[in-house]
Amino acid sequence: MKKLLLVSLILASNAPAFAEETPITGNVQTRCLITTDTNGVFGNPSPTKLSTASTDGGVVPVVRYDVTLADAYLAKVTTPTAFSSSPALSDSVSWTGSTAVTKTTDAGMSIYETNKVTYGQTTQFDLTIAGSTWFSSESAALYGVNKSFPGGSYTAVILAECIAK
Amino acid sequence: MKKLAVVALLAIYATSAHSEYLYGITGNMAATGHTWGMNSVGPSNQRGMRINGVYYQYTPIKNTEDDMLVHVRNKRVGGDGYIFSSTDDWSGLPGGIAITKGFVIDNLPIELWGEGSIDIEGTGSVVDANVVYSYKYNEGCTTPMADPSCPGYADAVLAMMRDSTVEYYDPMGDSNISDVLDEKVDLDEEDKKENEEDEDRGRLERILSGVDESVLSTNILAQNLLMFAMTNNPSMNPYYDKKLVGGVYKETVVLHGGELPDNKKGARAGLAQQILHTQMISMQYDKTE
Repeated sequence: MKKLLLVSLILASNAPAFAEETPITGNVQTRCLITTDTNGVFGNPSPTKLSTASTDGGVVPVVRYDVTLADAYLAKVTTPTAFSSSPALSDSVSWTGSTAVTKTTDAGMSIYETNKVTYGQTTQFDLTIAGSTWFSSESAALYGVNKSFPGGSYTAVILAECIAK
Repeated sequence: MKKLAVVALLAIYATSAHSEYLYGITGNMAATGHTWGMNSVGPSNQRGMRINGVYYQYTPIKNTEDDMLVHVRNKRVGGDGYIFSSTDDWSGLPGGIAITKGFVIDNLPIELWGEGSIDIEGTGSVVDANVVYSYKYNEGCTTPMADPSCPGYADAVLAMMRDSTVEYYDPMGDSNISDVLDEKVDLDEEDKKENEEDEDRGRLERILSGVDESVLSTNILAQNLLMFAMTNNPSMNPYYDKKLVGGVYKETVVLHGGELPDNKKGARAGLAQQILHTQMISMQYDKTE
C-alpha cells in the first residue's frame, strides 16, 4: 500500500498540465473612417434661436465618411438634443435637425439621400458604394416659448457613427 | 572620338545642373464655361510642365427618372480621343448632390493636353462646376539643355554635336607631353642599364663567393686533418720515444745436485682416490641393488 501510494504520486507529478491558454492575436483594419470636414457654427438670427443654417448666419457642420468596403456599413448621424456646454438655462430647449448627403465621389451614392431613414434626431444611410460621402447636418434650437437665450457660449455635438451591417 | 568627348562633357554638365521641380494647381478652369483651354495652366513660358492631377466637382440638375451622362475630359493633342476622360452616369439617380472626384495623372506633358470640357449626354444640366489641374514644372528649363528632364534635351544635344566646333586635342601630339615621355624613356633605359650592371656585379659576387666558399671548405678540411694529426702525435710519441734501459740480467738461482726421495704420502693419497674411483665405477654395474 505504501509502494502503491508512492508510485501514484510520481505519476501525478510527471503528468502534463490540465489546461493551457494559447493566445490568438489579429488586427482588423478599419474600412470606415469618419472625419470632420467642417466644424459647425451656430448663428443667432433671433434672440430665441440658434441655428447652423447658412441662411441663419451659421455654418453647417460637415462630416465625411470614407468607406473602402462597399455595402458593409451604415452611417448614422445624430444631431444634438442638448447643449454640451452653455450658460445656465432655466427653460426647455426645442431642437430640430436634419442630415443630408451633400457631396459624393460616385454618382451612385446620390441614392443614399433617397434611401435614408430618419428616426428622432438620427439619420441613417446605407453605404453601399465604396468611396467618400459628405454629410451635412443642420441643427436649430429654440429656447422656451419665444424666450431669449442667455448670453454666453453655446456648444453642441453631432454624433457620427459607422455601424457594420 | 569627337562625339564621345562632347557627350561626356554634356553628361558631366547635366549631372551638375541644378534640377528642382515646383508644383502648383490651377484655378477653376470651368468657372467661365464648360469648355476651357490649357494654355493658361501654370506660369507662362515654362517648358517641361507636366500635369500630375485632375480634380473636378459639379452638381447635376436632373430628374431622377432621366438618363444623363456627364463627361469631364481633355482632348489629346496630336491624336484622336482624349488624354483624360471621366464619365459619371446619373441615369435613374437623383440630382442635386454634388460629386467630387480626383485623379492622379502620371506626369503627362502639358503639350499633350488639349481643350477641356464638361459634356452632357441625356437630359439634365450641371451647375457649380469646378475643374482644377495640378502640375509640376522644372524652373531650370529655361533652355532645353538645362536639365535632361527638360523637353527637347536630346534634340538640343544632337544639334549641339552637329554644330560643335570643338577641336580635337591629341595629347600625343603635344610637344610638351612627348618631351616628357621621351625623357622618361631615356631615364628608363638608363635605369635598365644600371639594373643590368648591378645584376652582373651580383652574379660575379655570387661566383666569387662560391670560390671563397670552396677554398674555405678546403682549408677547413686541411685544418681538420692537421688537427687530427696533431692530436694523434702526442698519444703515440710517448710510446715511440720510450727507450728501455739495456743490460744483462744474470741467473741468481743455484741448484745443488743430490737425490730426491719419492713422496709416499702423496702416493698413498693418490692410490686411495684411485681405489675409490674404481669402486664408484663398479657400483653402477652392480646388479644386486
